[in-house]
Amino acid sequence: MKQYDAIVIGAGILGCMTARSLRRWNISTLLLEKEEDVCRGITRANSAIVYAGYDNKPGSLKAALTVRGNADMEALCEELEVPFSRCGSLLVAYEPEAVPKLEKKLSNGRKNGVPGLKLLSGPEAEAMEPMLKKGVAAALYAPSTGTVNPWLLGIAAYENALQNGAEAILGREVLAIRPCPEGYQVETREEVYQTRMVFNCAGAFADRVQGLAFAPEVKLKLDGAEYLVFDRLAKKPERVIFYQTQSSGKGITAIPCTEGNLLIAGVRKDMTIPYATSPEGLVEMLDRVKELLPETDTGLVIRSFGAVRPNPYRDSGESIPDYVIENPAPGFYSLIGVKTPGLTCAEGLGMLLAQRGAEYLSAEENPDFDPKRRGISEKDNDILCQCEQISRAEILEAIRRGASTVEAVKRRVGSGMGRCQGSRCSGEIARLLEEYGHGSL
Amino acid sequence: MDHYDILIIGGGAAGVSAARAASGRRVLLADRGPALGGVLLQCTHRGFGNNQTGPEYMEHLLRDFPESVELALNTTVLSVSPEKTALLSGREFGRREVSFDHLILAAGCREIPAGALPIGGTRPEGVYTAGQMQALMNLRGYVPEGPAVILGSGDLGLIMAKHLAEAGLEVTLVEKKDSCGGMARNRRCLSEYPIRLLCGDTLAVLHGEKKLSGCTTAKGVYLPCKSLLIAVGLRPEQELIAHLAQPEWLTLCGNCRQVHPMVEAVVQEGKQAGAAVKKAIEVCL
Repeated sequence: MKQYDAIVIGAGILGCMTARSLRRWNISTLLLEKEEDVCRGITRANSAIVYAGYDNKPGSLKAALTVRGNADMEALCEELEVPFSRCGSLLVAYEPEAVPKLEKKLSNGRKNGVPGLKLLSGPEAEAMEPMLKKGVAAALYAPSTGTVNPWLLGIAAYENALQNGAEAILGREVLAIRPCPEGYQVETREEVYQTRMVFNCAGAFADRVQGLAFAPEVKLKLDGAEYLVFDRLAKKPERVIFYQTQSSGKGITAIPCTEGNLLIAGVRKDMTIPYATSPEGLVEMLDRVKELLPETDTGLVIRSFGAVRPNPYRDSGESIPDYVIENPAPGFYSLIGVKTPGLTCAEGLGMLLAQRGAEYLSAEENPDFDPKRRGISEKDNDILCQCEQISRAEILEAIRRGASTVEAVKRRVGSGMGRCQGSRCSGEIARLLEEYGHGSL
Repeated sequence: MDHYDILIIGGGAAGVSAARAASGRRVLLADRGPALGGVLLQCTHRGFGNNQTGPEYMEHLLRDFPESVELALNTTVLSVSPEKTALLSGREFGRREVSFDHLILAAGCREIPAGALPIGGTRPEGVYTAGQMQALMNLRGYVPEGPAVILGSGDLGLIMAKHLAEAGLEVTLVEKKDSCGGMARNRRCLSEYPIRLLCGDTLAVLHGEKKLSGCTTAKGVYLPCKSLLIAVGLRPEQELIAHLAQPEWLTLCGNCRQVHPMVEAVVQEGKQAGAAVKKAIEVCL
């Protein structure tokens, strides 16, 4: 039986960051993921926003991690060679009754230590973002808000974890966890592993994974939101625009992504099938985009998708606003209910878990830990993805680093993300994958 | 930097016809593919010119192709500047900037992908555009899993319905309008094969967690399927020149100007574009 100091369950951005952080100490680490690639769950369908931290309750773990995660994002993205844009954001209100809400968030944000917050008048906001529909009552400007590609950040952390000696097995689902005198036995269909610690980062399945060993005190209710991606040619605001009407449930968020696309996020809603969208919802969102950003050419949508949010609640039915780190037994840590702004806090949460693990084992620091991960910068002149101008060399490097499907290549280099959505390049990419020993189309 | 009288972007029916008509001037013809022909190369069905296949028709168009036309194959044009220069990226020659007096854009069109449509549900594998599947089947020998649903009964939808039926797949065509679209000769497959046609309906929701398992129409009909082909329309490929304000040195021809149902019209337009640009140059001399 293979033995590890730590097994991390779930290779979303939280699991990848946790595995990376664990390797800052001499803690042998195995990362297990049930999907055939990393970041295939909640991480893949995300708003890409690095939140400033004015929404969260002062004194909460969420508030502290968000403000710190936001401040540290440049350095993290530099280490991991992932594009990051500190574009700022405006929370806009068109109804005078909504202005007190903005003031409340301003005071919240100041208590949380959010830098540079400013309440703008309508004309000031309209001058800052001329695309906005006229008639803004007031806006909360947060210069520290940013955007980052969520799955790219997760993949980068994953690659860096491996580079620092973590092991990972994809396509391996954990079926049972048994406490034993030395720690835990973690069972998959193929193999059983012995570990001193378990880090449950299973995202939407975190309550169930904890349930394999201990009754979870916190359970998850999933809901979701719908998203629209626009062609890079679509006009977009410079900053993230949050728009929430008084009659809640009618807002949208406009996000200028680091790749140059406009991303529109709808409001939270019930979702019976995870990651599914509804045709009515998508059509309705287009109307709202037109309402907030009247110049937007709604004919330029190239993709839509649904996101999932895990909402933690107690058996009593009481919902929990903060992140929950459960520690039901020595050496067992569960991250349950990490939702917005989970992307902003991912590194901080991973670090928090790793620190607790290091304390538990009295582990020594790993002197060889290297936080630098090299992005994919190989380029040649053979352009395979016409829309995004991605070359063969980049695609081959993604395959060399472990991408085994057209989708996995897409997430690493951006091929097929453009206006034709891979209809022209995916055949050739599938052929290259086959040539390098990865299945067929 | 090399200078050309005319740069032609796109070596399909329009670009090749334009190049023929413009030959005599210094012409550079760039295409992203390994051979001239564009979309014709994947059209193995008959119906082009004298009832030829796409590749046969292209061969006919390329007969006695003027040697003076310089070819840049396996080449993507990355950008065009208002100063009449273009940046090319070629598998063989690398990056190359060229200048030109006239640009003929003959870049064809692209398909509207599923993502652009307000179709709900999950995002499973097994969803293609019709032309993508045409290329996969005819150029790569791929056969998709059946049953198949095709959204859109225009010419491309019908051609692919016939292709899939010939390959032994069960096919359902879903058409938003009240009757089948496309030309009569392409509609013939509906009587020759057991292809189901649902008119006055469209797709509302896709099902399947990882792989497509079915779709539901707006009227609530559930169609089990493992492959879905989107054939709802084509968009002229004009993004390369979107930032230019229609300069007089730019001419669009073929499907990148306007989508044509018949290749003969594309050829005609290419010829006219090539001849007009050549004449404009010679008048100035």
